[in-house]
Amino acid sequence: MKINEYIESGVLEAYVLGSASEAEARELLYLKAKHPQISEALRDLEIDLEHISQSMAITPPPGTWPKIEANINEIIKARESDALTIDMPYRDRSSESSKSRKSSQFVEVEAESGHMRISKIWRWIFAAVFLLGKIFLACAIYFYIENSHNEKEIEILKTELQQIKSLR
Amino acid sequence: MLKTDRQVLVESKPESIRSLYDKYAGVLLGYVQEIVKDRKLAEDCLVRIFCQLSEEFGDENSESPRNWAQLQRYAKVKLVSYTAVSGRTIANGEMFRRSDDPFLAALSAEQKRVFVDIYYYGKTPVMLATDLNKTEEFIRKTLKEAFAILRKSGEN
Repeated sequence: MKINEYIESGVLEAYVLGSASEAEARELLYLKAKHPQISEALRDLEIDLEHISQSMAITPPPGTWPKIEANINEIIKARESDALTIDMPYRDRSSESSKSRKSSQFVEVEAESGHMRISKIWRWIFAAVFLLGKIFLACAIYFYIENSHNEKEIEILKTELQQIKSLR
Repeated sequence: MLKTDRQVLVESKPESIRSLYDKYAGVLLGYVQEIVKDRKLAEDCLVRIFCQLSEEFGDENSESPRNWAQLQRYAKVKLVSYTAVSGRTIANGEMFRRSDDPFLAALSAEQKRVFVDIYYYGKTPVMLATDLNKTEEFIRKTLKEAFAILRKSGEN
């Protein structure tokens, strides 16, 4: 393959603008690693695109970064805290501290569609109910076995008593 | 105790995202604004893109964008998944191609259509070749020409 022809074909421009097919992108990345001319041409195009796009830039409103920062902090907190804490979806997030505080008090229990939000306190209540359920079940089984054992013993004692009475 | 690579990555994340934001937030907002033609929606998209970026940044398998071309490609993929944007993209496509944007004024009608449809609306050369009843090679050449003209007009 002639490198200059490849560079002139327009594939590089399509790749830089994100419209190259997967096969084209794969081929380009392979050739880029092999041929420094392609790597250089690609870098130049990326710089050109950056210059072209700078002229159409719009300054974001001042509150934009705090919204993103709040989100990043939530992600870091979520990763540090236990695995049960599932993060809020973006559309429900807000920069407003009140909402942020609110979100930290709830656990997301389903995906974005059809959510249900419950207070985190319910996690402990569910755990306690589950544990108590287990204890009651164990007790019920124990007393059932104990009771049937006692009943059998009473039956034996009754039979013995009857035998003694009949002997007298 | 020594920190793991992941911990270091997560802890340095706000700074990394911040530098990307400082460098490209304005460019990205301008880019999205041209697509959706709605300032409020464009701002929402900007926040969502950076939020998603910050979430994916911690993943060792994902390579975060380092320049505008990479960020633009990342944003393009994300924008397609936002339902509020995808409908508008189609609706605004024709309007934008016909607009008298001074930035694109140096391009011929054909070059403008090819550049706008590929850069802003994510069409592939194959799709455009079918739409315009031209060869794929012609579309690529036209894109290359448009790119060269824009580069020159940017230098002047």
